[in-house]
Amino acid sequence: MSERGTAGAAWTRAARSVRTLSIPVVAVGAVLAVVPLWLDHSGVLMGVAVLGLAFACYAIGFNVIFGSTGQLFLCVGALAGIGGYGGAILADTVGLPVVVSILLATLVSCVTGGLLSLIAVRRSLGVIFTGIITLIFTLTFDALLLGLGSLTGGENGFLIESGADSFIRRRIPPYYVMLVLALVFLVVHGLLRRSHVGWAWRALRDDELAAELAGVDVARYRIYGALVGAAMLGLAGATYAFTEGRISPTTFGFAQVDVVVIVMLAFGGIGTLFGPILGAVTFTIVDEVLIEFGQLRLVVYGALVLLLFLFLARGVIPTARDVVTKRRVSQASAAPD
Amino acid sequence: MIANVLDGIVFGIQLGLWAAGLTLVYGLGGVLNLAHGQIAVISAVALAFGMDAGLPVLPAAGLALLVGGVVGLFLDLTILRPVYRLQGEARVLLSLLLTLGVAFIVDGFLNWRYPGRSLSLFIGGGAIEILGVPMRRGSLLASAITLVAFAALFSFFRFTALGRAVRSVIEDEEGARLVGIDPARMLRLILVLSGVLAALVAVTRSMVVSVDVQAGFGITVLALIVTVVGGLGSVSGALLAGIILGIVNVIAADVIGTFMSLVILLLAAAVTILMRPSGLLGVEE
Amino acid sequence: MLEVTGLAAGYEGNDVVEDVSFHVDPGEAVMIIGSNGAGKTTLFRSVVGLLAPSSGEVRYEGAGITGVPAQRIVRLGISFVPAERRLFPRMTVQENLALGAYPGRPDPGTTELVMDLFPRLAERRRQRAGTMSGGEQQMLAVGRALMADPRLIVLDEPTTGLAPKLAAEAYEALSALRDRGLTVLVAEQQVPLAMAFSDRGYVLENGRIRTQGTSAELADDPDVRRAYLGIT
Repeated sequence: MSERGTAGAAWTRAARSVRTLSIPVVAVGAVLAVVPLWLDHSGVLMGVAVLGLAFACYAIGFNVIFGSTGQLFLCVGALAGIGGYGGAILADTVGLPVVVSILLATLVSCVTGGLLSLIAVRRSLGVIFTGIITLIFTLTFDALLLGLGSLTGGENGFLIESGADSFIRRRIPPYYVMLVLALVFLVVHGLLRRSHVGWAWRALRDDELAAELAGVDVARYRIYGALVGAAMLGLAGATYAFTEGRISPTTFGFAQVDVVVIVMLAFGGIGTLFGPILGAVTFTIVDEVLIEFGQLRLVVYGALVLLLFLFLARGVIPTARDVVTKRRVSQASAAPD
Repeated sequence: MIANVLDGIVFGIQLGLWAAGLTLVYGLGGVLNLAHGQIAVISAVALAFGMDAGLPVLPAAGLALLVGGVVGLFLDLTILRPVYRLQGEARVLLSLLLTLGVAFIVDGFLNWRYPGRSLSLFIGGGAIEILGVPMRRGSLLASAITLVAFAALFSFFRFTALGRAVRSVIEDEEGARLVGIDPARMLRLILVLSGVLAALVAVTRSMVVSVDVQAGFGITVLALIVTVVGGLGSVSGALLAGIILGIVNVIAADVIGTFMSLVILLLAAAVTILMRPSGLLGVEE
Repeated sequence: MLEVTGLAAGYEGNDVVEDVSFHVDPGEAVMIIGSNGAGKTTLFRSVVGLLAPSSGEVRYEGAGITGVPAQRIVRLGISFVPAERRLFPRMTVQENLALGAYPGRPDPGTTELVMDLFPRLAERRRQRAGTMSGGEQQMLAVGRALMADPRLIVLDEPTTGLAPKLAAEAYEALSALRDRGLTVLVAEQQVPLAMAFSDRGYVLENGRIRTQGTSAELADDPDVRRAYLGIT
């Protein structure tokens, strides 16, 4: 077989992946794109929708790290916060252009995620230990946000001046900016899953030892996952910060971000491509509906989490897939041959 | 310096107590109970109510311990059932998510029903000097109670058949079954015990600072870190890790400043975990 | 005493052993021989309640015990010594033995019997089980099983990882126990030792009983001689 032949085959394969991937992604994008049509009367609701998309982005990033490579990164908020705070400080205090600030902050977040993963991989930390180390990172990040008040505004955070008069502070554009980001993340994750990287991820998730024996460099592919996921988190956090114009420790807090993202992803289905979107949309709506419960909102939210995981422990998408497969199998066996 | 070390030890044995219940439940059953701090808070509320109703401190504290144990039993009998059907990573993850749900419910309910409620058992009288360092009576009494609790725990595990049976499940669950020990019953016992320990956290903590209804998550997170530093499933590891981190924390606060002390404590925890992933007194795998 | 009929068991829906029937009479020593992967461990695990059989029946002293969990089976008088021993590594020899008698207190007579049988254990009472040699750990595993005062002891490859001399000693200890009236069921790859020790035997191949007979009959069987005794 000639080299051109294999290159051509790889090209066709890639083109086919893009095509099969583009249909559901475009569908999701189309559905979400019409949301502003009936929310645009309310600045508050649009804000909720933008936050929902930011969470979709976080959930995709977390899914790349945890769902694909099994590293429990309990620092989703902190990595997004590096993006958000980093971007804001670079733009406001250092005076760099907004886009450059966002990209630099994303890079910092990406490297940080990679380093955390490198530590976890080098020390062969299991799920729980990776979780604890990254949780400690989160708590350290929070402590630094509060402690370095002159830079971060401490508990109150600060208003971002850069870009305040541009389009990203208007009511509608932020929504589409975040939507494009979420769709791009989906495509990136989808393409990675179909590449040799995705193959290695599946292998190491199935059976790490077997993957290692089969010649998969498990450590390397884990770190790839963390780099990609952390970059997504940083980019989403930075972009969200500039659209919001105001950040504080709770914008990226553990209880406000990590816990919610885990619930969203576990609901949608850990490791599935569209689980994060499904989870983020569902829980953004649920959260809005729960406002009616006033102060009891947290109780209802907790009860909902309990019920969901008691009866749907693996998430919606995997459960639905099982049901469909079973029906197909039973239809096939019922059909006369 | 001596003052710092003493303060650190006082805070440290508290941390050890926070972690003791958590580490036992994880070591024995592979269950990560994120509602551990909330059990403490529920017990604190029970104690506060008992005293409002005119109960003297001791019976009220007894009531709090009872409530903690009952909550532990309740978790075992209800929401942890589906967790027990899973193994390994899936088991830890589901237990974490379900107890997180419980924690939300408890936090939400208490904050709605009793906002701003807090428990403090201030122990009056002047300070007592130890090694030339004046110590608050409340802190000393809390430390004494905690140390007695640890001594009781150690004796239970070392000298009673039931305690040995619990340890055997932590060491080798299948081996335990082969000598006739039912791991599920041991786990139930330990969940009750961890509930009682959480309640004791509330009682002793409230002698030093007031425990409010939102304190749950803070307790759980620090307890989790101490648990991991000490070694999963090791009560003596939890105590040792608590004391070390307590001393580090107090000294860092004195030398560098309050906010950085938390950072230093966290870094110390991270370094320990990285140097010894199985924890100070954990089993090497 | 023990009667197994048509037993099938395995993991995740794939049966490793199928349609296995055998019996052990009171006072007998019975061996189950077979190569690595024949299903001996799976068979024993499903008999002693560590694994639920997918079909078939296990009866003990006339009562059905199919699917009864291991922690209850040991109370009925069947002690199991797995090949991995499953000791409590960070506990002392003494604590391991005491747990063997759980929930009761260790019986002084039984303790003495175990110490007589394995004097090494008496010397190392306070040593942690995990720090002992393989041979000593095997003694402790058998000793711990005896502390429950069983009527039937089931051993899965008791000579795993033991040097030939130690393996022979292990079977001497088992013979001593037999002489005291204990019924023994043993699975073994080191066939000559087991054959000299037991009255009867079954050959397990690919999850099924291939042949059975008294030890003398099996020793004369040409297939058995070729496959397990290395005699052509």
